[in-house]
Amino acid sequence: MSVQKVKTEKSGRLGINLKTREIIAAYLFLAPFLIFFAVFVVRAVASAVQMSFFQWEILRPARPYVGLANYQELLSDAVWWEALKNTVIFALLTVVGTTIVGLAAAIAVTRPIKGQGLFRVLLYMPQLLSVGAVGLIWVWLLNSQFGIINYILSFFGVSPINWLGDPNLVIPALSFTTIWWTFGFPMLIFIAGLQGIPESLYEAAKIDGANARQSFLRITLPLLRPTMLFVTVTGFISHFQVYGQPLIMSNGGPGRSSYTVIFYLYQIAWRAFRMGYGSAVAIVLAGIIAVFTLGQFLFIGRDVEY
Amino acid sequence: MVKSRFDNFWTYIFLGLMSAFVVLPLLYAFSQSLMTNQEVNRWPPQIIPSDPTLDSYGTVLSQQDLRLDLWLRNSVFAASGYTAAVLLICAPAAYAFARLKFPGNKILFAILLVTIMIPPQVTLIPNYLLMRDFGWLDTFNALIWPGAANVFGVFLLRQFFSQIPDDLEEAAVLDGAGYWGRFRHVVLPLSTNALTALGIFVFLGHYNDLFWPLIVTNSLETRTLPVGLTILNSSYAGQYRPMVLAGAVLSTVPILIVYAIFQRRIIQGVMLTGLAGR
Repeated sequence: MSVQKVKTEKSGRLGINLKTREIIAAYLFLAPFLIFFAVFVVRAVASAVQMSFFQWEILRPARPYVGLANYQELLSDAVWWEALKNTVIFALLTVVGTTIVGLAAAIAVTRPIKGQGLFRVLLYMPQLLSVGAVGLIWVWLLNSQFGIINYILSFFGVSPINWLGDPNLVIPALSFTTIWWTFGFPMLIFIAGLQGIPESLYEAAKIDGANARQSFLRITLPLLRPTMLFVTVTGFISHFQVYGQPLIMSNGGPGRSSYTVIFYLYQIAWRAFRMGYGSAVAIVLAGIIAVFTLGQFLFIGRDVEY
Repeated sequence: MVKSRFDNFWTYIFLGLMSAFVVLPLLYAFSQSLMTNQEVNRWPPQIIPSDPTLDSYGTVLSQQDLRLDLWLRNSVFAASGYTAAVLLICAPAAYAFARLKFPGNKILFAILLVTIMIPPQVTLIPNYLLMRDFGWLDTFNALIWPGAANVFGVFLLRQFFSQIPDDLEEAAVLDGAGYWGRFRHVVLPLSTNALTALGIFVFLGHYNDLFWPLIVTNSLETRTLPVGLTILNSSYAGQYRPMVLAGAVLSTVPILIVYAIFQRRIIQGVMLTGLAGR
């Protein structure tokens, strides 16, 4: 309010009225951001859409317009469908895993115990490592011949499992590695969510004779629904973009059983140099992510109040 | 009271197991990096090296085709440059969105909101081709500039800037400060927490990024650490495992040191930035 008044008093300086000065200032503040945003986001998205309608290959000078041919090719591309299937399975397994582990860890570290802060710091640690380091360490832990995981399992009478070499196990193995690596983010978000639940609700439930399981199901879970929505939506979006784990740990194999959508995009655009087809893959990926996100909002967010 | 102590017992058991789950793989990798090649390829696997040696660290740092120390410096340099660029570009924009009245404020902001939903892979190919046309492939420019307009950063800072009381800026106006002076001397100093949180967040994200550095760099001299690790893995994993693990351990040391120093801020930052998205 009073800022307005002060401004009016100073009006007339430089002969430009204050409103105009504020507008000029605002656009000067925005200018660097808008320039970068226009070049690297707006132009890039428009260009990707446009390229997806062309047969745009780095090694060929002629780039004919092909309409929807790239998208049609995608429909009948067996590798694409396999990559998509692998990606969806990977993302679902990983989101479910990180959500459950993250929630359990969050509940444990919000209890009034000693060393609460230390446990939070420790459990979040893997999240900081690069996918390179995580991949190098876990590919060795999962090694079928000398890996420690098979060694531990051997005590339970399990014969050696070829985790990364078995087409049916490679995606779950990559997913397990990713759960180890990334459950820390949901954990922290759940901690914040749990802290928002008033203690009085639990006390009231206790007086009404509710046990721990009942108050978890009737109070904690329902009140965490907005947090759950956020964690699963962001988790799905980020794990759907999985790329480094299959590149480092299984190189898409065995066969094509750990090709993921982004792994395949890399193969198309930077191995086969087919930028037009690659753009179509990227656009379809964006569409799929949008549909899934919307679906999750409708499914989990039905009666979430914001 | 008795019951609560009993519950705490199980909480400690659970947290102990979780901690082991998190820490043991890292300790095991470290332990194996101190072994000889024969020792890691033994069954049953050795947990503790019988005769610990740092040879693998020496070897991994002296290979002709590996430049771990240089890649580490590249990663730090590129991530620092990127973080500086993001803060310098996003903070003024966030100030305009949060505190200035101009036509298009709401529409522009809504456009930003929409673009945050677009997965980054959509812009990969066009931006890669742009880098090529600029002659920026294999340079730090390609690692620093394309992501500098960080929409998430603008969101976070705008949120923070809008909470600063008007009175404080008003006082600066009375002292004759212009918009820049108010931004520079009132808003920025009051927002060091948000700026630091965003800075750490952006730095770590860039430092660990793999895809973009992989496609825009191709010489040994410009690679970053995550890309370097994939090279290390593909060239040596088959024959000399302790060396690969030594490389992995070396690459995690800087990040763990940063974490040890900033852990409180990082954890608060994730909660802050994560919740800002809600």
